[in-house]
Amino acid sequence: MLKLIQTEFMKLRRRKLVWLMLLAALVMPLFAFIYFNYFGETGVDPIQFYRWSAFGYTLWIILPFVLGTLCTILMYDEKQYDMLKQLWIVPVSKMEYIYSKFFVVFIYSVCFMLITAIASVLFSVLPGYVVFEWGSILYLLKKCIEIGVITTFAILPILAIAASQKGYILPVCTTLVYTFLGFFIVSINPYLHPISSMSVIIMRSNDIPGIVQAINIPLAFLCIAIWDIVALLVANISLERRK
Amino acid sequence: MQKLLWAECQKLRRSKMVWITVFATVMVAVIVFISGGVGYSGIRDVDRVGWYMTVVQPLATLFVLPAVIALLGSYMICREEQEDIIKSLRLIPISEAKLTSTKMIITFAFSILIYLVLFVIALSVEAILHFSDLSVKMVLGFLKAYTLDGLGVFLAISPIIALVSHMKKSYWIALVVTEIYSFAGIFMSMSNTLRTFYPITAIFGLSGYYEATAENLMGSIVVLLLCGCFSVFILKVLKHREKNCNRLSN
Repeated sequence: MLKLIQTEFMKLRRRKLVWLMLLAALVMPLFAFIYFNYFGETGVDPIQFYRWSAFGYTLWIILPFVLGTLCTILMYDEKQYDMLKQLWIVPVSKMEYIYSKFFVVFIYSVCFMLITAIASVLFSVLPGYVVFEWGSILYLLKKCIEIGVITTFAILPILAIAASQKGYILPVCTTLVYTFLGFFIVSINPYLHPISSMSVIIMRSNDIPGIVQAINIPLAFLCIAIWDIVALLVANISLERRK
Repeated sequence: MQKLLWAECQKLRRSKMVWITVFATVMVAVIVFISGGVGYSGIRDVDRVGWYMTVVQPLATLFVLPAVIALLGSYMICREEQEDIIKSLRLIPISEAKLTSTKMIITFAFSILIYLVLFVIALSVEAILHFSDLSVKMVLGFLKAYTLDGLGVFLAISPIIALVSHMKKSYWIALVVTEIYSFAGIFMSMSNTLRTFYPITAIFGLSGYYEATAENLMGSIVVLLLCGCFSVFILKVLKHREKNCNRLSN
């Protein structure tokens, strides 16, 4: 399994776009910087700044979209060059194959959020909008790692769709719709969609303004677990069928 | 050119891409409808006349449709290279610049078509919810807005699609760049000046979603036309390079 993961990372080294996509981690910190610069505010509450730079659209839109695209790229490459047959000959089990991809997405997601955290600190502290405090920085790092970890589980259905499809168009369009749905459904019922459930888990202490409904953590975990189990089953069945 | 257009349409007919794009459009409409079920002070958003038709267009434009249209355009352009058919096409011979222009025309038509599909869905929902409150003037106004949205989105993303034709095999870049480009429109709309000149938000000025003065409207039109001119320029450079390559090979 570890060898498989190592191979996945070695393959990633050759893909420039995967590294370029990490630049998307800077988008929201940069917009937060522009926003606070526009209003000329100093001494801003760190949570207020980080809500813009890391806990807002990065959590809802940017990270799920980037991870969905990454899942599609990871799955599509082998299918495009007809490498899957060789993998089955080695032999690599279907679930090992899925887990190795999942692990890559997991590491990528955490790295993405750490870059967002570092950029948030740089864009907030250096211009003087936020006073440097270890407490708030550690809080940001903790939340960013949480987001990175849980989003990987929330995006597993896209990995399953990418595994079950030959092309890249459907997984990519599904990523867009899936992200859009997760963002909008939160005001209706956050426990129906993994991305909205993830936001409930992240905002569980009510320290980040955003969710007004009553928070039910077990229900949020249950939602993600159900989606993930179904996704793994779908991915396994579709890979078995292709055999 | 006519033959090329015909061939492209035939290729699209066999591809699932069109149906997947329509599926994405329908899903966007459904999601916005679901989100409209929430209301404040007892009145749901969808119960307000015109709310659904007004809100679907910016949300679809900011989050989903530009990326989907760019994906379609770049898919069509990269397809021949990816499936190794481009060599056979060169043997015919076919001008690559003409081929790319044809694909751009198809993308333009598709962009308007997608927005018309969205309009039909939005109109149907509005008609079911409050048929008696709909007026011909209002419906025609929205039809104009949606058509202009389709036109504007194509112009705004055309430089990205044209650049893809330069780089080939880079449809992923087109997708990621377009999504961030359209999503950034949310922040650009906060400033009056930026929303006039940022191509994605300029679309809303053109379609009438934003109330714009004559100067702002002119600014938005100029920006979108500049995007169109820029993509034509990129295609011209492509044509020029192609000629040079042909001369060298001769």
